[in-house]
Amino acid sequence: MTLAGSRMGALSFLNKKPDMNGPGKGGGLLGWLDRRYQLTALTEFLRHKEVPLGSHWMGWYYLGGITLFFFIVQVVTGVLLLMYYQPGETTAYESIRFLTTKVPFGWLIRSIHSWSAHLMIISLVLHMFSTMMLKAYRPPRELTWVSGYLLFLLTLGFGFSGYLLPWNKLAYFATTVGTNIVASVPLLGSWLLQVLRGGQDVTINTLYRFFAGHVVILPLAVVGFIGLHIVFIQRQGMAPPLGAKVAPRGMKFFPSFALRDLLLWLACLMVLLALAVFLPYGPGIPGMDWELGQKADPLAPAYPGIKPEWYFLWEYQLLKEFPPHLFGLEGPQVCLLLIALMFGIWGLIPWLDRRVRRDQPSPAFSDFGWAALLFLTYLTLLAWDIGAGAASGAGDELTALRNIARVCAWWTLGAGALVIVVRYLRYEHRWFLLSGAALLQVTLHGLVGLTYLLAGVISVVLAAVWIVVAHFVGSRTDRRSET
Amino acid sequence: MEEQTLTTSHPKKSRRDFLDLLVGASFLGWLVTMAYPIIRYLKPLPQTGASGPTHLTRDESSKLEQNKFVIVPVSGQRVIVLQAPDQQLFAFSAKCTHEGCTITYQPAQSVLWCPCHDGRFDLNGRVLSGPPPQALAKYDARRQPDGSIVISEQKA
Repeated sequence: MTLAGSRMGALSFLNKKPDMNGPGKGGGLLGWLDRRYQLTALTEFLRHKEVPLGSHWMGWYYLGGITLFFFIVQVVTGVLLLMYYQPGETTAYESIRFLTTKVPFGWLIRSIHSWSAHLMIISLVLHMFSTMMLKAYRPPRELTWVSGYLLFLLTLGFGFSGYLLPWNKLAYFATTVGTNIVASVPLLGSWLLQVLRGGQDVTINTLYRFFAGHVVILPLAVVGFIGLHIVFIQRQGMAPPLGAKVAPRGMKFFPSFALRDLLLWLACLMVLLALAVFLPYGPGIPGMDWELGQKADPLAPAYPGIKPEWYFLWEYQLLKEFPPHLFGLEGPQVCLLLIALMFGIWGLIPWLDRRVRRDQPSPAFSDFGWAALLFLTYLTLLAWDIGAGAASGAGDELTALRNIARVCAWWTLGAGALVIVVRYLRYEHRWFLLSGAALLQVTLHGLVGLTYLLAGVISVVLAAVWIVVAHFVGSRTDRRSET
Repeated sequence: MEEQTLTTSHPKKSRRDFLDLLVGASFLGWLVTMAYPIIRYLKPLPQTGASGPTHLTRDESSKLEQNKFVIVPVSGQRVIVLQAPDQQLFAFSAKCTHEGCTITYQPAQSVLWCPCHDGRFDLNGRVLSGPPPQALAKYDARRQPDGSIVISEQKA
């Protein structure tokens, strides 16, 4: 807080009147510009900005920059792709096929665009979770979290809209399913669906809308929010982790930190290019390949294996776990409600985490982050069908599904146990109720054989009862200090 | 001059020079490697399509009959075909030699006219007035015995 306060004056150059007769630094073009626009004041501000140094690991500070780097790559390759892409019923698919087969290095540009999209989402998710675990969202940085959260949603929109543009079969059906979820919104559902699709069904009109969104609306919004996000960060500086011992002097942002950033960007570029050159159609993981495949045909029936990109797999799986009707509502409606609730909580974390607002450790929210990760991991593994190969010989479908769930449960439990042990020993965490509840649900569903929803309800209720009892008994376990 | 004395008196300096050269050269190589695919990607592919003598389609022929001129593609170039009052056929590149606008034919005056900057050409393609610096390139237009019209590039 005090660090941020002392920096408020640093932007005072914004109010400076141009002093044409002032000395200005140096002669030549730089001096000429400096006398008019006070460039030295700007670099002076950057020179004084510091990145907190201390007992914490610096690595987390680079993830936002890496995400920005991949976004820049997306803009550059996206503009290049636009020079050959032609949206349209008879041209969209054909132009991408022409691009990848005839245009020199067209395959490479498309491959870089796809790889960079996936890497951007990976670095964005890592950035978001590290911010969450280290409580960088605590006051005064609530709005930095919110702007980052909105950027996360917009990026998901980028992934979803870009997926349809090659107009191939897989994208066609994935978009049909994906947009259909919108119909579950109460009252506005059917209107929203029509606005999104440009009609009742996914047609070429949907492609035009997604195209406009993907190349104009979303980029404008993202650039705006990135600007805001960066202004917030430049204004307040980067957050040291709660309770970390911070050295009195940090690292200078310019040039020390900025050059490290640049070096890392170069490394990212080389990794990106290596991946794009050697695996031009993706690593072959489900939800992470972009083989062009066959052209979309609205009159052809759907076929098995229609799945979204990997970062939407958990929603896809959750949708499958809901029965057709629940509490007098349709299954997808309840599912959408649950997803909206989870997203809502995620966006409001800076206000929900009341302990951290008083600069006290909030172990429950650290655990909440881990529980969320375990929840997502289990659903993603289920959708990935790991263990399906072994199960396919099992005969009836129910046994096959059980087998898949069992294998996924063991993997998730293993990962969860490892995380808990590391947190306990290395970070001295002592609060595991929520991640415990997540693992209980995995056990009840995957190993005991209860339905996914029943397992979830039992786990949530048990966790809630535990929290209420602990609150009344006044157990001191949750008062232990940790972050 | 001063640097040279420095390098000779400090052997370490020349090692640094060498490393600088190495780093600079690698950077240059890296830059070329990055730029090459993009430059190749941006260069349009050569146009594919019919080349050689071109027959006028029925539509084009009737347009010629009606308007006394028609603009057709010949080997990827715009070519204006026109019918003089004496029924003689002419064909020229339709690209004005001034700024590349597509010219038109004015049957009343028997001139080729570029409306962009008011350039005028006669039926030999020579400049009559206006800013065009060169004559229009001529094409061969021949009526076949069966009545169809064939346009071909003039052999130099």
